[in-house]
Amino acid sequence: MSFFAWVELIASGLITGGVYALVALGLNLQYGLMRILNIAHGEFLMVGAFLTWWMQSQFGFSPLLMLPVSFGLLMALGLAVHFLCFRRLTVTSPNLDIFEARGLMVAFGLMFLVQNFVSWQWGGDLRGYDYLTDPVRLGGAQFAGNKLLVFGLALAFSLGLIVLLRMTLLGKGVRALMQSPVGAQLVGIDTRRLHPLMFGIGLGLSGVAGCLLSMSYTISPSMGEPYTVTALIVITLGGFGSMGGALAGGLLLGVVEAVGMHYTNPSMKALLSYTVFIAVLLLRPEGLFTRRTRKA
Amino acid sequence: MSYVLRFPSRRRLLQGAAAAVGASSFAPSLMAQSAPVRVGYSMSRTGPWTGGAQVSQEPNYLLWAEQQNQAGGLDVKGARRRIELISSDDRSDTETVVRTYEKLMGSDKVDLVLPPWGSNANFAVAPLANRFGYPFLAPTALSRRLVEMKLPYFFLLLQQPKPMCEAIVEMFKANGIRTVACVYVDDLFGLENYAAFRVALQGTGINMVEDKSYPGGVKDLSPVLRSIKDKNPDAFVGFTYPPDTILASRQAKEIGFNPKVFYASVGTAFPLYRNVMTPAGAEGVMGMGSWNAKTSPGAKAYFDAHVASQKKEPDRWASGACWAGLEILTNAVKQAGLNRKAIRDYVAATTHKTILGDIRFVGSENVGTPGTIGQWQNGEFEVVWPTPRATAKLVAAKPAWN
Repeated sequence: MSFFAWVELIASGLITGGVYALVALGLNLQYGLMRILNIAHGEFLMVGAFLTWWMQSQFGFSPLLMLPVSFGLLMALGLAVHFLCFRRLTVTSPNLDIFEARGLMVAFGLMFLVQNFVSWQWGGDLRGYDYLTDPVRLGGAQFAGNKLLVFGLALAFSLGLIVLLRMTLLGKGVRALMQSPVGAQLVGIDTRRLHPLMFGIGLGLSGVAGCLLSMSYTISPSMGEPYTVTALIVITLGGFGSMGGALAGGLLLGVVEAVGMHYTNPSMKALLSYTVFIAVLLLRPEGLFTRRTRKA
Repeated sequence: MSYVLRFPSRRRLLQGAAAAVGASSFAPSLMAQSAPVRVGYSMSRTGPWTGGAQVSQEPNYLLWAEQQNQAGGLDVKGARRRIELISSDDRSDTETVVRTYEKLMGSDKVDLVLPPWGSNANFAVAPLANRFGYPFLAPTALSRRLVEMKLPYFFLLLQQPKPMCEAIVEMFKANGIRTVACVYVDDLFGLENYAAFRVALQGTGINMVEDKSYPGGVKDLSPVLRSIKDKNPDAFVGFTYPPDTILASRQAKEIGFNPKVFYASVGTAFPLYRNVMTPAGAEGVMGMGSWNAKTSPGAKAYFDAHVASQKKEPDRWASGACWAGLEILTNAVKQAGLNRKAIRDYVAATTHKTILGDIRFVGSENVGTPGTIGQWQNGEFEVVWPTPRATAKLVAAKPAWN
């Protein structure tokens, strides 16, 4: 295999990894920050994908314009879901572990609710549209325009979140919340506002991911679940709550899968992903890209 | 007058009693004559099988019941009886499919059943239907092993892997294809087709330069396609499901992989394929397809009725087989009534006139329909192989992806 073929293979792995990272960002905010294991994350991503497809196919709305619309709508939905479900759980759960367990049950319910709502509204057929599928040449390699867009935006959103969390007062508050919810309250951080806001942003990001994925893949009401599983692997690799870790974890997983599939076959993909996942859980349970705080 | 009403004569009393006894003895059969024909099935309305089931199968069941009921009901040996469909969502879960059919046939005891979607679900339910003695005309099952099970009540309408793969290889030979690469989904459908394809290639001099399996729901085939592109085969064959068919096509376009023949399987014949790839992008792509509205006047009438009723086009492969199966079942009930053994015997022993042409069964297999190939040409999925079945001339070299 020539050097150039290697570069092409790695680049395609990085692009797939960018998709993984983008999907994982929203879940990382929710689970890494608030311990809400939102198993319905992929379903909200699917809502973003369906909204984009629907607006594009019915009204000719540009999928790019749907990026902020999806973000806004899903964020509003996130605020509503938090108000209706998780706010009450926060108040009534005696400790964080019970909150996490109850949150998981609520998220399961949301998963079925959202999936069936979309099936009822748009039917169960596969959907898709043609957008930016023409290949773009980079050096000697070529990639679909929509894939490059997804990769670029995954990088932009990850870097944007890293900057937000590290450089702003809001980010400081969020990080304080991650370290110690009670301590954050004691120093005057308004957790009653910060919690729903971050949950809403997490869902908004899933809407953005769905919007972008609808450009590259066919969509259906059952598309969400595999993305939730991938997102969980990625945030475990990167470390809960670490946006940089999610980006690096996603890219790593994409490259490992691409190289592995080249030398074996795609049927081995799950084996490769879970081998990396289990190895990280055994050797670095805090995640590959977080500081070690205790011995594994 | 009032006296008579209050105190009827002995004669009138006897007449009334006789009428009551007579009516009570005939009433059940009269009610049965007018009672609806209960037809049960399970269908994927959620989960990963939905994309195929809601294109190739359930719309046809609904159209069939609608048409029959508009005509006064299903003709049961001369008596018209309305069809009552009893259906539920199987969530694309084999266990749910089996339980649903156990209930329909075992405790609900419906009059007839219609099959679920896909090879795997049919594989699980076929022995059960056989045990309960329900004729099963499966339109979306493709498996040699189902034929080899020799289930007398089970009939497969789609052409099986052997004739389909032989048709591909014959077409290759006729068009000078020397090398081929193959990817296949690693389930019953993909594995059986891949095996049949290898057998069909033996002794032809056509060289398989690459063959790789992939799991259902795959999100990236580009590493495989890039390594196939490096080997520059004349033809690409994918035994794929709808999302993977579109993924492979999009990623082949992405990396500029342009073999002379690009053949993918389930989903190529879907209108969705043309919508997603655009008519220009789909041009020249081949796949599993056996009919379109030009095939026969019956096929045209069915196509138009489907669009009018279901507000979408049927696919050009399994939808035709599904409708042909319903035509066969309709005629069987007309001839044999609802006696399921008699229906089975009629289906097994008759050459059926359908929108796909003559269909007849040897064991479970439809041997009346030969292996066929479809190809997208100017926005229509044309039958291009074999020539006697063709609705358009084969374009031997696919243009580069557009």
